[in-house]
Amino acid sequence: MYSFLLHVATLSCIYALLGLALNLQAGFAGLLNFGFVAFAGVGAYASAITSSLGYPAPVGVLIGVIAAMVVGFAMARLGRNLASDYWAIATLAVAELIRTVALNENWLTGGAQGISGVPALFRSASGVQNDLAFFLLALAMVAIALFACVRLSRGRFGRAIRLMREEPALAASLGYQLVPLKVKATVTSAAIASVGGSLLAHYMSFVGPDYMLASETFVIWTMVMIGGLGNNLGVVLGALLVEAIYSAVPFAKDYLNISSDIAGAVRLGTIGVVLLACLLVRPGGLLPEKIRSAT
Amino acid sequence: MLQFIVDVLIRTSDIMLVAVGLSVVYSLVKFPNIAHVQYAMLGAFGTLALNRTGLPFSLALIGACVATGLVAVLLNVLVFKRLLRSGSSIAMIGSLAISMILVAVVLGVAGSRPFRYSSGLSSPINLGSTAISVDQITSIACGFGCVALLAVLLFKTGVGRSMRAMSSNPALAAATGVDGARVVNGITFLSGALAALGGTMLGLTETVHVGLGTNLLLPVFAAAILGGLGNPLGAAAGALLISTAETLVTNLDFGWLFGTSDVYVPVTYISAASFVILLVALLFKPYGIFDREVRRV
Amino acid sequence: MNTMLRLQDVHKSFGGNSVLTGLNFHVRTGEIVGLLGPNGCGKSTVLNAITGYCPIDQGLIEVGGQHVNGLSAHQIAAKGVRRTFQLPSMPTRMTVREVVMAASTRSHGLFSTLRRSGATRRLEHETRERAHHLLEELLLTKVEHLPAASISGGQKKLLGIACAMMEQPALLLLDEPMAGVHPNLRSELVTTLKRINGQGITLVIIEHDMHFISETCSRCIVLDKGKTVADCLPSELETHESVVEAYLGKKPGGQYRVAGVIA
Repeated sequence: MYSFLLHVATLSCIYALLGLALNLQAGFAGLLNFGFVAFAGVGAYASAITSSLGYPAPVGVLIGVIAAMVVGFAMARLGRNLASDYWAIATLAVAELIRTVALNENWLTGGAQGISGVPALFRSASGVQNDLAFFLLALAMVAIALFACVRLSRGRFGRAIRLMREEPALAASLGYQLVPLKVKATVTSAAIASVGGSLLAHYMSFVGPDYMLASETFVIWTMVMIGGLGNNLGVVLGALLVEAIYSAVPFAKDYLNISSDIAGAVRLGTIGVVLLACLLVRPGGLLPEKIRSAT
Repeated sequence: MLQFIVDVLIRTSDIMLVAVGLSVVYSLVKFPNIAHVQYAMLGAFGTLALNRTGLPFSLALIGACVATGLVAVLLNVLVFKRLLRSGSSIAMIGSLAISMILVAVVLGVAGSRPFRYSSGLSSPINLGSTAISVDQITSIACGFGCVALLAVLLFKTGVGRSMRAMSSNPALAAATGVDGARVVNGITFLSGALAALGGTMLGLTETVHVGLGTNLLLPVFAAAILGGLGNPLGAAAGALLISTAETLVTNLDFGWLFGTSDVYVPVTYISAASFVILLVALLFKPYGIFDREVRRV
Repeated sequence: MNTMLRLQDVHKSFGGNSVLTGLNFHVRTGEIVGLLGPNGCGKSTVLNAITGYCPIDQGLIEVGGQHVNGLSAHQIAAKGVRRTFQLPSMPTRMTVREVVMAASTRSHGLFSTLRRSGATRRLEHETRERAHHLLEELLLTKVEHLPAASISGGQKKLLGIACAMMEQPALLLLDEPMAGVHPNLRSELVTTLKRINGQGITLVIIEHDMHFISETCSRCIVLDKGKTVADCLPSELETHESVVEAYLGKKPGGQYRVAGVIA
């Protein structure tokens, strides 16, 4: 039971990291990114590939961050003239493109099989990953990201992107350059997401193209919407909640002995229903965005 | 060459109906309905279910289309209209949730394995060196035939005129006496039915499986956006363009670039072709290649 | 710099509709100029053209002696030009005070926000002070902590002016500032605008309210069908033939006796 709870806690931390990143881009800057998972995927693959080449973990994380930032830059520049709905679909297309490449380029990414044997970060004497240590690392990462996101959203940068989010014409009339703001928000978000992806790779010891399925982006979106778009603490809460539901289902599956198709269906369906209910009843999320005067 | 044309036509009819359905309803709802492609999946499974109860294929198809059309109207009235009050982004995310629920329901009921319609094995017809099956001919005929019918409906009938009026300016149309709710529901029903038809045809030429809708998402949106959202015939043209590009890309020998022969783009990259086209289209012509609208600032 | 704003032979059409057909006028530094004309004469288009929201087909626009046609909105704003909007739309998830503070566009980068150095903290303090001062001037202190979208239309207009004033512009263009503002507040607004002008800011005001124009502006430019038809003092408007014609149309023979306000 303890190891199961620790597992859920660790995954919640990783997804909280992804949620905070998406919230920065979608919540504060209003950029509906539906290809978001590509950032995490790039980070995960970077870590996996560099580890398999023998480099230490931080190198992989760094390369992942740089690569994800490049993808983020491309997405943001792609969107400079696009209305938000169209841009959402464009980002979806970019993510699918990256996933297709990952699926096909065996020499780099291991193709459909992915890359396994990604080394654990904290090895105990027996070679098994020290789960508690990893959890603490993940928790520390979330704390740092939370601190950064709160500071960014409350400060001048946050006001700039929030104004741009709702009233771009007003923002432009005051002298804000919208494209650089969008790029900065997207690229920062990509960097944080990439770290989350790297952590996931090391935790699961495995990376595969399925990490970048559109459905993964949708799960993260669900976490952010349920928790509260535009509220940093909210998305952390959302990540915990959704991850708990997500993990409870396979648990019940083994307990109740139901087929994996049905388990998959229940998981997906529950998330969908919860998301829909949230949107209908409380679109702001459990912890809606706080409208506060700058202190 | 003939094989190429056949391939293009088959692929076009796969995505065309669903794309046209999406386009038809877009100007009314003003948000990209991600659940739309799942209507195709629903239709395919609906036809399968009705077919399995003993109904002949054509009746099962009609039943599934009607049922899916009704589902589309129901979802629009009960869910999307409410969500739209909170904005188009919320509606889009809501369509995501509906999409997940629809897939979950079908996954739970039917499982993840592929199915085929029991229309009996038909031997392919040979035209020279190309082979084409009766199913494929049915699909192509159905697809293009329906688009032709739709064109007649939209441009030659009073109903179609109301629909086009509603599409371009709902408020104004309502003010001139077009019964808003009925036309909206009619358009929604039509889009759902078209998607169901497209999905069944796809199930006919390939297989019926729970991922059918999700696989259609990007090609369908690419076709609809290329043709200009709200321009149904444009969506058909977009579908043709996408299919041509996809088939071309994987059939062209790029050997001359590398000084050898037999250098082909791997078939697994075929979907990437439509994504790239979509991205290029969004970059240069986000309102579609047929865009002629004048926008006053 | 004597001429703050100059338009020369400006043409603009939308599709087949010619809105600006060879427009000429200039505004001297330190003036308060009113821009008038019947609906459809192109006033908003002129404003949009000057501030970079609408490219012109032909002609020249100069601000402070520099060409601005073809520049984007933020580039023109960087030259010290600010504007308000006819139908101001304000964010729903920011308070009035936050919006005004956001109007201070200096130093909004990522790293400076993250680092929060002494300089950034001082800038924040300054911004907060100035925002508070402007909100006081424009009688918005009561709604300072409310979401900006929830205040009245007239208050949003005033908020727009506060935002425009945040960085002490050289040229301020106001699009119908009185529309939607309570008539009781008119004299306050006139005083405020005159005070702003007293700080050296050139004002161009699009308006319909004649009382307001006559109390505020030192000069009036009247547009009709995309051209300047009059450039005169406010007091001369009522009797100026072209102006009357623009608003009321040509009457065959005879003079108009226009009593009171031209609507």
